[in-house]
Amino acid sequence: MVIFALVKCQKSAVFPADQYDDRLSGGNATVFDATSKAFGNAFENLSSYDGYMHEMGDKVFSQSFVTAPAPIHSGLGPIFNNTSCVSCHHNDGIGLPTAGDAQSSLLMRISLPGTDAHGGPVAVPGYGLQVQDKAAYGLQPEAKVNIAYTYQTYSFDDGETYELRAPTYALSNLYTPISGTYLLSPRLAPPMIGLGLLEAVPESEIVANADPNDANGDGIAGKANYVYDVITKKVQLGRFGWKANTASIITQVATAFNQDMGLTSSVLPVESSYGQSQYDSLHDDAELPDTTLNAVKFYAQTLAVPARRNTTDAAVKRGEQLFILAKCASCHKQTLTTGVNVAFPAVSNQVIHPYTDMLVHNMGTGLADNRPDFKAGGQDWRTAPLWGLGLFPVINNPGFYLHDGRARTLVEAIMWHGGEAAASKAYFSHLSKSDRNAVLKFLNSL
Amino acid sequence: MRGKFIITLSVIGLAIASCKKDNTNDNNGNSSAQATLEQQVLTDFAGNLANPNYQDIQAKALVMNNAIIAFNTNPTDDNLAAIRTAWKNTRAAWEMCEGFLFGPVEDFNYDPTMDDWPVNKADLDNVLASNNPLQVSDIDQLGTTLKGFHAIEYIIFGVGSTQKAANITDRDKLYLASLGQSLYNTTVQLRNSWDPAQANNFTAEVINAGNGSTRYTSRLDVFTALVGSMADICNEVANEKMQTPLAAQDSTLDESSFSHNSVNDFKNNITGILNAYKCQYPGAASGHSLSELVASKNASLDLKIQSQINTAIASFSSITTTYEKAIYTQQNQIKTVQNAINTLKVTLEGDLSAFIQTNIKD
Repeated sequence: MVIFALVKCQKSAVFPADQYDDRLSGGNATVFDATSKAFGNAFENLSSYDGYMHEMGDKVFSQSFVTAPAPIHSGLGPIFNNTSCVSCHHNDGIGLPTAGDAQSSLLMRISLPGTDAHGGPVAVPGYGLQVQDKAAYGLQPEAKVNIAYTYQTYSFDDGETYELRAPTYALSNLYTPISGTYLLSPRLAPPMIGLGLLEAVPESEIVANADPNDANGDGIAGKANYVYDVITKKVQLGRFGWKANTASIITQVATAFNQDMGLTSSVLPVESSYGQSQYDSLHDDAELPDTTLNAVKFYAQTLAVPARRNTTDAAVKRGEQLFILAKCASCHKQTLTTGVNVAFPAVSNQVIHPYTDMLVHNMGTGLADNRPDFKAGGQDWRTAPLWGLGLFPVINNPGFYLHDGRARTLVEAIMWHGGEAAASKAYFSHLSKSDRNAVLKFLNSL
Repeated sequence: MRGKFIITLSVIGLAIASCKKDNTNDNNGNSSAQATLEQQVLTDFAGNLANPNYQDIQAKALVMNNAIIAFNTNPTDDNLAAIRTAWKNTRAAWEMCEGFLFGPVEDFNYDPTMDDWPVNKADLDNVLASNNPLQVSDIDQLGTTLKGFHAIEYIIFGVGSTQKAANITDRDKLYLASLGQSLYNTTVQLRNSWDPAQANNFTAEVINAGNGSTRYTSRLDVFTALVGSMADICNEVANEKMQTPLAAQDSTLDESSFSHNSVNDFKNNITGILNAYKCQYPGAASGHSLSELVASKNASLDLKIQSQINTAIASFSSITTTYEKAIYTQQNQIKTVQNAINTLKVTLEGDLSAFIQTNIKD
């Protein structure tokens, strides 16, 4: 027993692969915390300076920005979706699927049909690619986002029923008309954990799992999204966002500041309202100091992943087997390995368990937004990482799931799967009640 | 959103090893006396600290609201001073509850609703200059940087604490009245969320941990949340609230710069940790405490924690001017306070977290 305890004291990196501790979802960047703050931990063993940068980023992440001119945190808006990072990413977790309220976390992407010069969505004149549904006092938001649900009851093969709520989205109160058809795609603020690890997975490892033409005939395709990066001005592998339409953490963070909060930075110096009637014409760009942008980027890069719980529980192990037999793990891949990075050892050469292949898959008509985003088609979504999944209800009571938070439980999230995942869903539906519960118990251990 | 609250593998290993030592008592290696004490600590945390603290915030917000009403009827500098005093008193009770910031206060966003920062002064001026009726229902529609403690602070203290009663306009008064009522309404919601007499109250979630609570599957879950929140506020005060204006040498980054109340804010946050550890709140009976639980197994650890909390609280007395000034003139004193708080933080994250993981076995 004592020997076992001593072994457990060692770091993950020293284990041979066959003794790897499967609780360590984030490799060395794993934290043992299952409280409501579990998504807010820094990597352990950051250097003193890096720890300081993380703290500074944390502070900015949690504080509000305000309308210019202001002595501090100036530059919010004039149009925006929310006033701080944390007001969407509550407790660094998944957000609340409402729009327009102070703590709402759902935003709406918008575009015209077709593709732009870079193969991406076509901006809507007067709106761009995102609907800002809030505005500085006295100004008009671009639109109001209306969410309505219809509820329908379905049955598992054993007769037990479950309910799904299907959302419909519509814009009203447009500040200026949009001519012709436009496409909408709802996006819920995702959890912040483990982004630095996912960024460190080599492109070659991700692409190796792609099977865009389903050459192996298993019914599961999966393709890499390649996107135009607005900072590097190059086409790169998309890693982040619900459709893998963002290449890097710095682009994700700078774009969120720019589009979600209306804050310009040196890398994205043009106001989201530029060319619109709400534009403030102030000569205060870039509003966000580089140090602030980089601190928040570093914060996002260095949030640790909570360890799994109950990994030795028999039902959890049974659920894990079923998860694999149902081919869930064909897309929600348990293990990836980050590349060697001598400059940033915290994310270097780590065996991680994110339960994603970082590819986009056709998820069927039920989940489709019908709004292509670079190589991701209208029914495609990136395989969502499942690490931390079991903590959603603790961190964001009660917790929501999927790209728009339509699923209120894990069961609902599973039963919304379609397209390439239809067979896996059918497998789950066919299971006995106790086996379904085992799968859920496994998912809740993540 | 938090510092390094990390229970390392070595602690887990220790837990696994040590649970074998005690298993003469029950299946979980737990004596019934200790289980009883653990339950008493949770019951008293809710009954003797959380509920009284939230009740006190509500009571003091009511006093402030009444002071605003009195000022609006008779806008003298004395009546303005009465609002300021009431604001500081309400603020003190609020800052103390930040020593255990978990549960409805975060679930329902009562914290940003009451205590967002900084104030959106540009929009606030636009609100005042507009035709907005400024009723409570209108205030409720505004963003959180336009209401709560710091919007009230901005109006009643002004930049540099220079506000005079004569300079407060009728529109200011209308806004202030609705801000006061709106804040009070939120304190009522917060208090009700823990009130054992209300349906779905959080007190029941805490005291029934591991025994029907939907939120906490074990007592250990609550203790982990409590100790984590105590460590978090250490980090927030020493390494964020105090550090940011100090590092940037910018007093506008202070939390309560209009009222020059930042040092009190910080100190009351740490006093909140003392309250949480000792299960005490001014004006309420003390109860069975985490301190008692620790002392029952490890008296020296208990003394160490108490000593470090008291040292941290006492260290604030070395800052003898406003924080807005101290960041320029008393940097060594500030660093002494930060060090004391960080010392406590290390103990809470290390020794105390290890203690509860090792000893609470339900």
